[in-house]
Amino acid sequence: MEMTSLYPVASEIFLACAGMLLLLWGATAGEKSTGAITVATGIAFIIAIFMAGHYETAKAVVMGGHVGSNAYVLFIKVLLLLSALASLVLSQHFLKSSKLSRPEYPVLVLFATLGMMLMVSAESLLGLYMGLELQSLTLYVLAAFRRDNAKSSESGLKYFVLGALASGLLLYGISLIYGGSGTILFGMLHEVVTADKPPVELVLGFVFILAAMAFKISAVPFHMWTPDVYEGAPTPVTAFFAAAPKLAGIALLIKLLYGPFHGLLAQSTPIILVLSVASMTLGAFAAIAQSNIKRMMAYSSIGHVGFALVGLVAGGQEGVQATLLYLLIYLPMTLGAFGIILSLRRDGVYLEQISDLAGLSKTRPALAAIMTVFMFSMMGIPPLAGFFSKFYVFLAVVEARYVWLAVLGVCLSVVGAYYYLRIIKIMYFDKQMEGFQRVPGWGVASLLGVTVLFILTLAVKPDWALSITHDAAKALIG
Amino acid sequence: MNAELIPAVLFYLFAGVLVLSAMMVVASRNPVHSVLFLILAFFNAAGLFLLLGAEFAAFILVIVYVGAVAVLFLFVVMMLDIDFEQLRKGAWKSLPVGILVGLVLVSQMVMTAVNWQSLPTAGSSILSPAARHAAATNTQAVGAILYTDYVYPFQIAGLILLVAMIGAIVLTLRDRGGVLRQNINSQITRKASDVVEVRKVQKGAGIS
Amino acid sequence: MMPITIHHFLAVAAILFTIGVFGIFLNRKNIIVILMSIELILLSVNINFVAFGAQLGDLTGQVFTLFVLTVAAAEAAIGLAILVVYFRNRNTIAVDDINMMKG
Repeated sequence: MEMTSLYPVASEIFLACAGMLLLLWGATAGEKSTGAITVATGIAFIIAIFMAGHYETAKAVVMGGHVGSNAYVLFIKVLLLLSALASLVLSQHFLKSSKLSRPEYPVLVLFATLGMMLMVSAESLLGLYMGLELQSLTLYVLAAFRRDNAKSSESGLKYFVLGALASGLLLYGISLIYGGSGTILFGMLHEVVTADKPPVELVLGFVFILAAMAFKISAVPFHMWTPDVYEGAPTPVTAFFAAAPKLAGIALLIKLLYGPFHGLLAQSTPIILVLSVASMTLGAFAAIAQSNIKRMMAYSSIGHVGFALVGLVAGGQEGVQATLLYLLIYLPMTLGAFGIILSLRRDGVYLEQISDLAGLSKTRPALAAIMTVFMFSMMGIPPLAGFFSKFYVFLAVVEARYVWLAVLGVCLSVVGAYYYLRIIKIMYFDKQMEGFQRVPGWGVASLLGVTVLFILTLAVKPDWALSITHDAAKALIG
Repeated sequence: MNAELIPAVLFYLFAGVLVLSAMMVVASRNPVHSVLFLILAFFNAAGLFLLLGAEFAAFILVIVYVGAVAVLFLFVVMMLDIDFEQLRKGAWKSLPVGILVGLVLVSQMVMTAVNWQSLPTAGSSILSPAARHAAATNTQAVGAILYTDYVYPFQIAGLILLVAMIGAIVLTLRDRGGVLRQNINSQITRKASDVVEVRKVQKGAGIS
Repeated sequence: MMPITIHHFLAVAAILFTIGVFGIFLNRKNIIVILMSIELILLSVNINFVAFGAQLGDLTGQVFTLFVLTVAAAEAAIGLAILVVYFRNRNTIAVDDINMMKG
């Protein structure tokens, strides 16, 4: 085998080696090395981004047909690495102050990210399964990472049980697809599974796979685990959950829909439609009743998944591009909001209850202003980035003649605006509470700066975002 | 005896015991019994694998599952002091509905299985034809492709096991104070002159 | 007696799968039995893979089974580790039913 044939997975190979070396370092140097290892993991992510950009731009399928790369995969990989980097930055101070500062944490985040990258770049059902399991197993451990805390271990347990059930469904579906078509390679499936009277066996198999994917991206009605897991897991882990695995799951779903199973689009689009409407609705209404900010973010993320799926209902290159744009904007909004949550600490406890935000505009005006920007953006108020993401999704769906879905989506955004506005009201108009301690470190502050800048300026210069999402969608469908 | 009869008898034996023991896994009152029935189920599934000619997978199933996974389950069941009676409370409340749903589900799934038809192209799109290794044993044939065509998933499997190891250690390992440990280094570097004192004992005076 | 075909094996796998799913919903509080039900589901998938592989004359099914076995072993280890941690915190392995609208 020539070295060049490994180029499409160069960044993954690098990350795997880096992860093992960092693990050895942590094992020999002990807990005091955690800070250095976290920084080294961040550097490894940055190097991986450059390696991916340098080696993995060409379209290729290698290693026995199990893995490959193209512009779409590259786009997702870079976003995944960036969100993993951001969540590492967010975890910096939290872990130290919660006595969770252990060298395994950054290494586990690295392996989870690696699993997501492998899952998105998979070109066979076997490669997909292995990548998915690498990320899921790591995420179960991360959810339970605060092992002396009952809530954290309970969230790990719930995530594990439901995740393992979803993996079982996925595998059953894969076995049916394999038996029906005789192959597990995406390229082969693309040719064999045709729209012309697809056999019921393959459709059934794909429905199992779709159910499992819906679970992984926590779309309603497979969302039951989300609020409990988000609430129980350590907050930086929750931020990671809300960003990277969601992106990887939706990206994989898109790849399955338009790659191997494009022949089943007529059967799968109604399922996506149901998932999308149910997620938008539940996300908008259930978040209203929440008092815990992490649970609220969980329902908010469920709603955002619903909006992102609207683009897939529209379908085609425009629809996929709208979904990718939605994800591109969703990530900084969510990571930024978690950055605010992780900047507010009182008596050694980080912000948990929404009511604790009362009067933040007096005690920490800058943070309150930034949070307001994120909330307005999540609502979809122009000219913030969140408006663009919703606008393009609805535009795509109107062009696909699902006008009612766009109308419903706009109505549900208005309902959802209620709980975002409530946070702003609490911050600005409620009676001031005792101030928060300053959380030291430059990491979270710089992350907040970058994300706010992104959200404010995307309206001025949206061209680059449109062009990269266009290229990615074209690489997949065109 | 008829040559066709033996596989059929074996199939019904293995399949029957497999399904019954699987039912007992989910229905038995004592989790230790559940684990033991799980082991029985694995053995019978291995029998089914043998009937299908997958010898290596059958033995791995016995070695890995019965030897490691089931024993791990047994270990945890016995290590944790769990009040299983309390867990059962209310567990069977939804039984009638559950059985109804289960019967519908099982009849649908079995209908699909019994009427199964692969695509006509399925035979020609396979990845690793067994006919290519007709002269080799099953284990040789699997080995020949596992480290070549499937080296990529094989490597990820290694990473998954590594992560499982890190995860299990990071979650459960704790340093307990007051545990006496053997320190081999200090044992063998001890010198008699450091620790043994020779004294002259006076008659009738004792050691002060 | 009917000759044994792939359909017989698929039917056994389908029954096993249903028992596994059924077990999860029946024993919602007993996590250990849930973990065993998940093992049953994976076993049914393995039977499917081996049966399809034999039918198609393809070794991919068997190789896939080996990978599923590997991952299932890792999954059992992680699951039991999380269970042990949970037990240390709560002194029970009962998990409250998943409450969708808990405020």
